[in-house]
Amino acid sequence: MEKVSTKTAEVTKIALVAALYVAVTMVIVPFGYGAIQLRLSEGFNHLVAFNKRYIIALTIGCALANLVSPLGIVDIVFGTLGTLVMTTISYFLTKRVKSVPVKLTITTVVCTLMTWSVALELNIVTKVPFWPTYGTVALGELLSMALGAILVYLLQKRIDFTK
Amino acid sequence: MNKMILGRYLPGDTWLHRLDPRTKISISFYFIVIIFFANNVLSYALLLAFTFGVIFSSGINQKFFFNGVRPLFLLILITVFFQLFLTRGGHIYWSFGPFALSQYGIRSSIYVFLRFMMIILMSTLLMLTTAPLMIADAIESLLSPLKRIHFPIDQIALMISLALRFVPTLMDETITIMNAQRARGVDFSDGGLIKRIKAMIPVLIPLFVNTFSRAGDLGTAMESRGYSGEGERTRYRKLTWARRDNIAWAVMLLLTGLLFILRN
Repeated sequence: MEKVSTKTAEVTKIALVAALYVAVTMVIVPFGYGAIQLRLSEGFNHLVAFNKRYIIALTIGCALANLVSPLGIVDIVFGTLGTLVMTTISYFLTKRVKSVPVKLTITTVVCTLMTWSVALELNIVTKVPFWPTYGTVALGELLSMALGAILVYLLQKRIDFTK
Repeated sequence: MNKMILGRYLPGDTWLHRLDPRTKISISFYFIVIIFFANNVLSYALLLAFTFGVIFSSGINQKFFFNGVRPLFLLILITVFFQLFLTRGGHIYWSFGPFALSQYGIRSSIYVFLRFMMIILMSTLLMLTTAPLMIADAIESLLSPLKRIHFPIDQIALMISLALRFVPTLMDETITIMNAQRARGVDFSDGGLIKRIKAMIPVLIPLFVNTFSRAGDLGTAMESRGYSGEGERTRYRKLTWARRDNIAWAVMLLLTGLLFILRN
Protein backbone atom coordinates (compact mmCIF):
# COMPACT_ATOMS: atom_id res chain seq x y z
CA MET A 1 0.00 0.00 0.00
CA GLU A 2 3.00 2.27 0.45
CA LYS A 3 3.40 2.49 -3.32
CA VAL A 4 0.23 4.51 -3.81
CA SER A 5 1.10 8.13 -4.43
CA THR A 6 0.07 10.46 -1.65
CA LYS A 7 -2.21 12.38 -3.96
CA THR A 8 -4.39 9.40 -4.88
CA ALA A 9 -4.41 8.21 -1.27
CA GLU A 10 -5.55 11.68 -0.29
CA VAL A 11 -8.51 11.50 -2.70
CA THR A 12 -9.61 8.02 -1.64
CA LYS A 13 -9.30 8.74 2.08
CA ILE A 14 -11.37 11.89 1.77
CA ALA A 15 -13.99 10.12 -0.34
CA LEU A 16 -14.29 7.17 2.02
CA VAL A 17 -14.45 9.20 5.21
CA ALA A 18 -17.19 11.28 3.56
CA ALA A 19 -19.03 8.09 2.60
CA LEU A 20 -18.64 6.75 6.12
CA TYR A 21 -20.12 9.93 7.56
CA VAL A 22 -23.17 9.53 5.31
CA ALA A 23 -23.54 5.82 6.01
CA VAL A 24 -23.32 6.27 9.78
CA THR A 25 -25.73 9.24 9.70
CA MET A 26 -28.29 7.19 7.84
CA VAL A 27 -27.91 3.76 9.43
CA ILE A 28 -27.21 4.31 13.09
CA VAL A 29 -29.47 6.98 14.46
CA PRO A 30 -32.80 7.62 12.80
CA PHE A 31 -32.99 11.30 13.76
CA GLY A 32 -29.99 13.09 12.36
CA TYR A 33 -32.03 16.06 11.11
CA GLY A 34 -34.16 18.84 12.60
CA ALA A 35 -34.39 20.70 15.91
CA ILE A 36 -33.81 17.67 18.13
CA GLN A 37 -31.02 15.83 16.42
CA LEU A 38 -28.30 13.38 17.31
CA ARG A 39 -25.80 12.57 14.62
CA LEU A 40 -23.15 10.19 15.89
CA SER A 41 -21.23 10.76 12.67
CA GLU A 42 -20.50 14.30 13.91
CA GLY A 43 -17.99 12.62 16.22
CA PHE A 44 -15.80 12.17 13.14
CA ASN A 45 -15.14 15.91 13.33
CA HIS A 46 -12.26 15.00 15.65
CA LEU A 47 -10.32 13.74 12.64
CA VAL A 48 -9.57 17.33 11.58
CA ALA A 49 -7.37 17.66 14.65
CA PHE A 50 -4.97 15.27 12.94
CA ASN A 51 -5.00 16.28 9.29
CA LYS A 52 -6.58 19.11 7.35
CA ARG A 53 -7.75 16.80 4.57
CA TYR A 54 -10.62 15.70 6.82
CA ILE A 55 -12.06 19.21 6.63
CA ILE A 56 -12.92 18.44 3.01
CA ALA A 57 -14.01 14.90 3.87
CA LEU A 58 -16.48 16.04 6.52
CA THR A 59 -17.78 18.92 4.45
CA ILE A 60 -18.54 16.59 1.53
CA GLY A 61 -19.99 14.00 3.91
CA CYS A 62 -22.25 16.56 5.50
CA ALA A 63 -23.44 17.85 2.10
CA LEU A 64 -24.26 14.33 0.93
CA ALA A 65 -25.97 13.35 4.19
CA ASN A 66 -28.09 16.50 3.88
CA LEU A 67 -29.26 15.44 0.41
CA VAL A 68 -31.98 13.49 2.18
CA SER A 69 -32.64 16.13 4.81
CA PRO A 70 -36.26 17.22 4.98
CA LEU A 71 -35.10 20.81 4.61
CA GLY A 72 -33.39 19.83 1.38
CA ILE A 73 -31.34 22.42 -0.38
CA VAL A 74 -31.29 24.81 2.60
CA ASP A 75 -29.60 22.19 4.74
CA ILE A 76 -27.23 21.27 1.93
CA VAL A 77 -26.00 24.86 1.68
CA PHE A 78 -26.06 26.11 5.29
CA GLY A 79 -25.42 22.85 7.11
CA THR A 80 -22.44 22.23 4.88
CA LEU A 81 -21.05 25.74 5.33
CA GLY A 82 -21.49 25.29 9.10
CA THR A 83 -19.43 22.09 9.04
CA LEU A 84 -16.79 23.72 6.86
CA VAL A 85 -16.40 26.60 9.31
CA MET A 86 -16.46 24.52 12.50
CA THR A 87 -13.92 21.98 11.22
CA THR A 88 -11.65 24.71 9.89
CA ILE A 89 -11.67 26.51 13.25
CA SER A 90 -10.99 23.21 15.04
CA TYR A 91 -8.10 22.48 12.69
CA PHE A 92 -6.39 25.80 13.32
CA LEU A 93 -6.92 25.69 17.07
CA THR A 94 -5.53 22.17 17.41
CA LYS A 95 -2.71 22.55 14.91
CA ARG A 96 0.02 23.30 17.45
CA VAL A 97 -1.35 21.14 20.27
CA LYS A 98 0.71 18.01 20.83
CA SER A 99 -1.37 16.10 23.37
CA VAL A 100 -4.14 14.02 21.83
CA PRO A 101 -6.62 14.37 24.73
CA VAL A 102 -6.25 18.16 24.62
CA LYS A 103 -6.81 18.16 20.85
CA LEU A 104 -9.97 16.11 21.28
CA THR A 105 -11.24 18.38 24.04
CA ILE A 106 -10.72 21.48 21.88
CA THR A 107 -12.62 20.01 18.91
CA THR A 108 -15.44 18.90 21.19
CA VAL A 109 -15.84 22.41 22.61
CA VAL A 110 -15.52 24.18 19.26
CA CYS A 111 -18.00 21.93 17.48
CA THR A 112 -20.52 22.07 20.29
CA LEU A 113 -20.41 25.87 20.41
CA MET A 114 -20.49 26.19 16.63
CA THR A 115 -23.84 24.45 16.31
CA TRP A 116 -25.38 27.94 16.54
CA SER A 117 -25.29 27.94 12.74
CA VAL A 118 -27.61 24.93 12.62
CA ALA A 119 -29.87 26.49 15.25
CA LEU A 120 -29.95 29.78 13.32
CA GLU A 121 -30.81 27.99 10.09
CA LEU A 122 -33.65 26.10 11.78
CA ASN A 123 -34.74 29.31 13.47
CA ILE A 124 -34.97 31.19 10.17
CA VAL A 125 -36.52 28.44 8.09
CA THR A 126 -38.87 26.79 10.54
CA LYS A 127 -39.27 29.59 13.08
CA VAL A 128 -38.41 27.41 16.06
CA PRO A 129 -37.13 29.65 18.87
CA PHE A 130 -33.36 30.11 18.65
CA TRP A 131 -32.10 29.43 22.19
CA PRO A 132 -33.98 26.18 22.98
CA THR A 133 -33.04 24.88 19.53
CA TYR A 134 -29.41 25.84 20.08
CA GLY A 135 -29.61 23.96 23.39
CA THR A 136 -30.96 20.73 21.95
CA VAL A 137 -28.76 20.76 18.86
CA ALA A 138 -25.65 21.56 20.94
CA LEU A 139 -26.51 18.80 23.41
CA GLY A 140 -26.82 16.29 20.58
CA GLU A 141 -23.51 17.47 19.18
CA LEU A 142 -21.84 17.24 22.58
CA LEU A 143 -22.95 13.62 23.02
CA SER A 144 -21.76 12.73 19.51
CA MET A 145 -18.45 14.53 20.02
CA ALA A 146 -17.92 12.79 23.38
CA LEU A 147 -18.41 9.40 21.76
CA GLY A 148 -16.24 10.51 18.84
CA ALA A 149 -13.48 11.53 21.25
CA ILE A 150 -13.38 8.07 22.84
CA LEU A 151 -13.51 6.45 19.43
CA VAL A 152 -10.79 8.56 17.82
CA TYR A 153 -8.60 8.24 20.92
CA LEU A 154 -8.76 4.45 20.71
CA LEU A 155 -8.32 4.43 16.94
CA GLN A 156 -5.36 6.81 16.74
CA LYS A 157 -3.29 4.25 18.62
CA ARG A 158 -3.68 1.92 15.64
CA ILE A 159 -4.24 4.18 12.63
CA ASP A 160 -2.01 7.18 12.01
CA PHE A 161 -4.57 9.79 11.00
CA THR A 162 -1.90 12.41 10.43
CA LYS A 163 -0.58 10.52 7.39
CA MET B 1 -32.85 -1.63 3.98
CA ASN B 2 -33.61 -0.11 0.63
CA LYS B 3 -36.19 2.26 2.03
CA MET B 4 -33.45 4.75 2.84
CA ILE B 5 -31.68 4.89 -0.51
CA LEU B 6 -29.53 7.97 -0.74
CA GLY B 7 -31.49 10.69 -2.44
CA ARG B 8 -34.55 8.44 -2.71
CA TYR B 9 -34.34 8.68 -6.49
CA LEU B 10 -37.23 7.21 -8.49
CA PRO B 11 -36.17 6.60 -12.11
CA GLY B 12 -38.67 7.87 -14.63
CA ASP B 13 -39.21 9.94 -17.73
CA THR B 14 -41.46 12.82 -16.69
CA TRP B 15 -40.82 16.45 -17.60
CA LEU B 16 -39.37 16.94 -14.14
CA HIS B 17 -36.89 14.12 -14.69
CA ARG B 18 -35.86 15.67 -18.00
CA LEU B 19 -35.19 19.15 -16.61
CA ASP B 20 -31.52 19.95 -16.23
CA PRO B 21 -30.46 19.21 -12.62
CA ARG B 22 -28.92 22.68 -12.42
CA THR B 23 -32.33 24.15 -13.20
CA LYS B 24 -33.99 21.98 -10.58
CA ILE B 25 -31.49 22.80 -7.85
CA SER B 26 -31.45 26.53 -8.53
CA ILE B 27 -35.25 26.67 -8.88
CA SER B 28 -35.91 24.79 -5.66
CA PHE B 29 -33.55 27.10 -3.82
CA TYR B 30 -35.16 30.13 -5.43
CA PHE B 31 -38.62 28.84 -4.54
CA ILE B 32 -37.63 28.40 -0.89
CA VAL B 33 -36.39 31.99 -0.84
CA ILE B 34 -39.59 33.42 -2.33
CA ILE B 35 -41.75 31.42 0.10
CA PHE B 36 -40.51 33.85 2.74
CA PHE B 37 -42.11 36.74 0.90
CA ALA B 38 -45.59 35.28 1.23
CA ASN B 39 -47.40 37.14 4.03
CA ASN B 40 -51.15 36.80 3.56
CA VAL B 41 -53.82 34.26 2.68
CA LEU B 42 -53.75 34.99 -1.06
CA SER B 43 -49.99 34.75 -1.44
CA TYR B 44 -49.87 31.48 0.50
CA ALA B 45 -52.74 30.13 -1.61
CA LEU B 46 -50.82 31.00 -4.77
CA LEU B 47 -47.68 29.18 -3.61
CA LEU B 48 -49.68 26.17 -2.41
CA ALA B 49 -51.48 25.97 -5.75
CA PHE B 50 -48.12 26.13 -7.49
CA THR B 51 -46.60 23.41 -5.27
CA PHE B 52 -49.50 21.01 -5.78
CA GLY B 53 -49.69 21.91 -9.46
CA VAL B 54 -46.06 20.84 -9.89
CA ILE B 55 -46.61 17.64 -7.89
CA PHE B 56 -49.71 16.58 -9.82
CA SER B 57 -48.44 17.54 -13.25
CA SER B 58 -45.08 15.86 -12.68
CA GLY B 59 -46.66 12.43 -13.20
CA ILE B 60 -44.72 10.81 -10.37
CA ASN B 61 -46.41 8.12 -8.35
CA GLN B 62 -48.58 10.19 -5.95
CA LYS B 63 -49.07 7.44 -3.41
CA PHE B 64 -45.36 6.74 -3.19
CA PHE B 65 -44.67 10.45 -2.92
CA PHE B 66 -47.07 11.22 -0.08
CA ASN B 67 -46.16 8.04 1.82
CA GLY B 68 -42.53 9.04 1.58
CA VAL B 69 -43.20 12.53 2.92
CA ARG B 70 -45.40 11.42 5.82
CA PRO B 71 -42.66 10.62 8.37
CA LEU B 72 -41.38 14.18 7.96
CA PHE B 73 -44.61 15.62 9.22
CA LEU B 74 -43.60 14.74 12.76
CA LEU B 75 -40.79 17.24 12.33
CA ILE B 76 -43.27 19.85 11.13
CA LEU B 77 -45.56 19.18 14.07
CA ILE B 78 -42.77 19.75 16.62
CA THR B 79 -42.03 23.07 14.94
CA VAL B 80 -45.66 24.10 14.79
CA PHE B 81 -46.08 23.16 18.43
CA PHE B 82 -43.27 25.56 19.41
CA GLN B 83 -44.75 28.26 17.27
CA LEU B 84 -48.29 27.77 18.50
CA PHE B 85 -47.58 27.95 22.21
CA LEU B 86 -44.61 30.29 22.42
CA THR B 87 -45.89 33.14 20.27
CA ARG B 88 -47.93 35.85 21.98
CA GLY B 89 -49.98 38.67 20.58
CA GLY B 90 -53.52 39.62 19.78
CA HIS B 91 -56.27 37.98 21.76
CA ILE B 92 -55.00 35.40 24.27
CA TYR B 93 -57.28 32.38 24.63
CA TRP B 94 -55.32 30.37 27.17
CA SER B 95 -52.05 30.69 29.03
CA PHE B 96 -49.94 28.68 31.43
CA GLY B 97 -46.42 29.77 32.47
CA PRO B 98 -44.43 30.54 29.32
CA PHE B 99 -47.06 28.86 27.14
CA ALA B 100 -50.00 30.66 25.64
CA LEU B 101 -52.54 30.12 22.94
CA SER B 102 -52.98 33.44 21.21
CA GLN B 103 -54.47 34.85 18.04
CA TYR B 104 -51.06 35.63 16.53
CA GLY B 105 -49.74 32.27 17.68
CA ILE B 106 -52.45 30.41 15.80
CA ARG B 107 -52.04 32.48 12.67
CA SER B 108 -48.26 32.29 12.56
CA SER B 109 -48.27 28.55 13.30
CA ILE B 110 -50.56 27.96 10.33
CA TYR B 111 -48.21 29.99 8.12
CA VAL B 112 -45.15 28.18 9.46
CA PHE B 113 -46.87 24.85 8.88
CA LEU B 114 -47.65 25.75 5.26
CA ARG B 115 -44.20 27.15 4.61
CA PHE B 116 -42.44 24.15 6.09
CA MET B 117 -44.74 21.78 4.22
CA MET B 118 -44.01 23.46 0.89
CA ILE B 119 -40.26 23.35 1.52
CA ILE B 120 -40.44 19.64 2.33
CA LEU B 121 -42.70 18.80 -0.61
CA MET B 122 -40.52 20.68 -3.06
CA SER B 123 -37.21 19.28 -1.86
CA THR B 124 -38.63 15.76 -1.81
CA LEU B 125 -39.79 16.28 -5.38
CA LEU B 126 -36.29 17.40 -6.35
CA MET B 127 -34.69 14.37 -4.73
CA LEU B 128 -37.21 11.90 -6.18
CA THR B 129 -36.70 13.07 -9.74
CA THR B 130 -32.95 13.71 -9.75
CA ALA B 131 -30.34 10.96 -9.46
CA PRO B 132 -27.71 11.66 -6.76
CA LEU B 133 -24.96 11.60 -9.37
CA MET B 134 -26.82 14.24 -11.36
CA ILE B 135 -27.08 16.38 -8.25
CA ALA B 136 -23.33 15.99 -7.74
CA ASP B 137 -22.71 16.94 -11.39
CA ALA B 138 -24.98 19.93 -11.08
CA ILE B 139 -23.29 21.14 -7.90
CA GLU B 140 -19.94 20.76 -9.62
CA SER B 141 -21.18 22.75 -12.58
CA LEU B 142 -22.70 25.48 -10.40
CA LEU B 143 -19.45 25.76 -8.44
CA SER B 144 -17.26 25.86 -11.55
CA PRO B 145 -16.71 29.65 -11.34
CA LEU B 146 -14.58 28.83 -8.28
CA LYS B 147 -11.99 27.37 -10.66
CA ARG B 148 -10.81 30.92 -11.28
CA ILE B 149 -9.56 31.13 -7.72
CA HIS B 150 -7.82 27.74 -8.21
CA PHE B 151 -10.33 25.81 -6.17
CA PRO B 152 -9.79 22.15 -7.21
CA ILE B 153 -13.37 21.56 -8.27
CA ASP B 154 -12.48 18.54 -10.51
CA GLN B 155 -10.91 16.73 -7.60
CA ILE B 156 -13.79 17.59 -5.32
CA ALA B 157 -16.19 16.23 -7.94
CA LEU B 158 -14.23 12.99 -8.11
CA MET B 159 -14.35 12.71 -4.31
CA ILE B 160 -18.10 13.28 -4.33
CA SER B 161 -18.65 10.60 -6.98
CA LEU B 162 -16.46 8.13 -5.10
CA ALA B 163 -18.22 8.91 -1.83
CA LEU B 164 -21.65 8.41 -3.42
CA ARG B 165 -20.44 5.11 -4.84
CA PHE B 166 -19.30 3.89 -1.43
CA VAL B 167 -22.22 5.03 0.72
CA PRO B 168 -24.37 1.92 0.03
CA THR B 169 -21.33 -0.34 0.50
CA LEU B 170 -20.50 1.20 3.87
CA MET B 171 -24.15 1.16 4.93
CA ASP B 172 -24.25 -2.58 4.24
CA GLU B 173 -21.01 -2.98 6.12
CA THR B 174 -22.37 -1.06 9.12
CA ILE B 175 -25.40 -3.34 9.22
CA THR B 176 -23.23 -6.45 8.88
CA ILE B 177 -21.02 -5.35 11.78
CA MET B 178 -24.06 -4.49 13.90
CA ASN B 179 -25.48 -7.96 13.24
CA ALA B 180 -22.14 -9.54 14.05
CA GLN B 181 -22.07 -7.69 17.38
CA ARG B 182 -25.71 -8.60 18.06
CA ALA B 183 -24.76 -12.24 17.56
CA ARG B 184 -22.15 -11.71 20.29
CA GLY B 185 -24.78 -10.31 22.62
CA VAL B 186 -24.70 -6.52 22.15
CA ASP B 187 -28.17 -5.04 22.50
CA PHE B 188 -28.56 -1.81 20.53
CA SER B 189 -32.14 -1.08 21.46
CA ASP B 190 -31.86 -1.42 25.22
CA GLY B 191 -31.14 1.12 27.93
CA GLY B 192 -30.96 4.91 28.00
CA LEU B 193 -29.45 7.25 25.49
CA ILE B 194 -25.94 7.08 26.95
CA LYS B 195 -25.95 3.29 27.07
CA ARG B 196 -27.13 3.09 23.47
CA ILE B 197 -24.45 5.49 22.33
CA LYS B 198 -21.81 3.46 24.16
CA ALA B 199 -23.02 0.33 22.41
CA MET B 200 -21.97 1.93 19.12
CA ILE B 201 -18.24 1.88 19.96
CA PRO B 202 -17.75 -1.82 19.06
CA VAL B 203 -19.50 -1.07 15.76
CA LEU B 204 -17.63 2.08 14.84
CA ILE B 205 -14.12 0.79 15.55
CA PRO B 206 -14.13 -2.09 13.04
CA LEU B 207 -16.03 0.13 10.62
CA PHE B 208 -13.31 2.77 10.77
CA VAL B 209 -10.47 0.31 10.41
CA ASN B 210 -12.18 -1.31 7.40
CA THR B 211 -12.89 2.06 5.82
CA PHE B 212 -9.27 3.13 6.02
CA SER B 213 -7.99 -0.13 4.59
CA ARG B 214 -10.60 0.16 1.84
CA ALA B 215 -9.31 3.64 1.02
CA GLY B 216 -5.83 2.18 0.60
CA ASP B 217 -7.11 -0.61 -1.67
CA LEU B 218 -9.11 1.84 -3.72
CA GLY B 219 -6.04 4.02 -4.22
CA THR B 220 -4.07 1.02 -5.47
CA ALA B 221 -6.93 0.00 -7.78
CA MET B 222 -7.20 3.52 -9.22
CA GLU B 223 -3.48 3.90 -9.84
CA SER B 224 -3.16 0.47 -11.43
CA ARG B 225 -5.83 1.62 -13.90
CA GLY B 226 -3.79 4.66 -14.75
CA TYR B 227 -5.39 7.34 -12.59
CA SER B 228 -3.28 10.36 -11.87
CA GLY B 229 -4.50 13.61 -10.42
CA GLU B 230 -3.02 15.74 -13.19
CA GLY B 231 -4.50 16.76 -16.51
CA GLU B 232 -7.86 17.80 -17.80
CA ARG B 233 -10.51 15.11 -17.34
CA THR B 234 -13.31 14.37 -19.76
CA ARG B 235 -16.71 13.24 -18.58
CA TYR B 236 -19.20 10.52 -19.44
CA ARG B 237 -22.36 12.42 -18.51
CA LYS B 238 -22.79 15.89 -19.94
CA LEU B 239 -25.36 18.40 -18.75
CA THR B 240 -27.26 20.26 -21.46
CA TRP B 241 -29.38 23.34 -20.95
CA ALA B 242 -32.53 23.03 -23.09
CA ARG B 243 -35.56 25.15 -23.96
CA ARG B 244 -37.59 23.56 -21.19
CA ASP B 245 -35.12 24.96 -18.68
CA ASN B 246 -35.74 28.44 -19.99
CA ILE B 247 -39.49 27.82 -19.78
CA ALA B 248 -39.16 26.61 -16.19
CA TRP B 249 -37.33 29.79 -15.22
CA ALA B 250 -39.88 31.92 -17.07
CA VAL B 251 -42.63 30.26 -15.02
CA MET B 252 -40.73 31.00 -11.83
CA LEU B 253 -40.38 34.67 -12.73
CA LEU B 254 -44.08 34.84 -13.52
CA LEU B 255 -44.82 33.26 -10.14
CA THR B 256 -42.59 35.81 -8.42
CA GLY B 257 -44.44 38.65 -10.17
CA LEU B 258 -47.82 37.30 -9.09
CA LEU B 259 -46.56 36.79 -5.56
CA PHE B 260 -45.48 40.40 -5.27
CA ILE B 261 -48.84 41.59 -6.59
CA LEU B 262 -50.73 39.46 -4.06
CA ARG B 263 -48.67 40.10 -0.94
CA ASN B 264 -49.34 43.16 1.13
